[in-house]
Amino acid sequence: MFKALVGWFHKLGSPPYFDSFAARWAPWFYLASLPLFAFGLWQALAVVPADYQQGDSFRILYIHVPSAWMSLFVFGLMAFYSAIGLIWRIKLCEILAMACAPIGAGFTLITLLTGSIWGKPMWGTWWDWDPRLTTELILLFLYLGVMGLYGAIDDRRAAARAAGLLAIVGVVLLPVIRYSVVWWNSLHQGQTIRMFGESSMDSSMILPLWLMVLATKFWFAGSLLTRARADNLRREVGKAWVRERVEKSA
Amino acid sequence: MSYFKYVAMAYAVFFLVLAWDFIVPRLQIRQLLREARGRVARSKRSNSAPTDEELSR
Repeated sequence: MFKALVGWFHKLGSPPYFDSFAARWAPWFYLASLPLFAFGLWQALAVVPADYQQGDSFRILYIHVPSAWMSLFVFGLMAFYSAIGLIWRIKLCEILAMACAPIGAGFTLITLLTGSIWGKPMWGTWWDWDPRLTTELILLFLYLGVMGLYGAIDDRRAAARAAGLLAIVGVVLLPVIRYSVVWWNSLHQGQTIRMFGESSMDSSMILPLWLMVLATKFWFAGSLLTRARADNLRREVGKAWVRERVEKSA
Repeated sequence: MSYFKYVAMAYAVFFLVLAWDFIVPRLQIRQLLREARGRVARSKRSNSAPTDEELSR
């Protein structure tokens, strides 16, 4: 079993095999996310009762929190792939790491904008230089830095290594974001939802949140495969296997 | 719904970013495959063209 798994992993490193794999599986991940999004959004917008203090504005939480979690998770994963790419020089890991950056940037942008939109009626301001908000903004700049560095160097492998190094260094920001509401006096609320243990949020309001968390994970898997496939093709566009595939499909 | 404007704005941002995330890599793949098809067509044309005008006359 383990041997087969290692064999499959080695096979996945082959650009033509990865192209077929990504083209085949990405739509299924997107498809799996759709019913979760649909059910989660229906629950979030129509079923769950309004909050007794925040009214309906609390419904923004169902997109804000999953996006915030994804912004951290994707950065961690990007650094993990970058480390593997740097240590073992696995090209696929470099591609996957660089494919993480725009998706993570997208989720970070959603987090910042939806938080800001929620903040206007609740805090009376669109923005505050609060530790959580500021560190999340720095995370967005880090994502943009990784993307910019990757795009600025012509040699794709050297570019991925340089940008990967930035991603690895940037990982120190993740615990700062996570514990910013504990370490500093913050306008942003503390932790209310726990994966393990009791959440301080009412149980009737939690189901849509987990559905949205799961939906964003499946969406991310689909998007990661699609973006990695695009980068893989960009690196290999002149190779014989791409020519064969194009001729076969014509 | 109270705060409807804010809720609608937030969900609009969410769907706009997801739509961008869905469309952009697809467009990139389509463009790369078009480029690959162009390369194939060019190499076919250059292979079928006579290599020496004098000899073929």
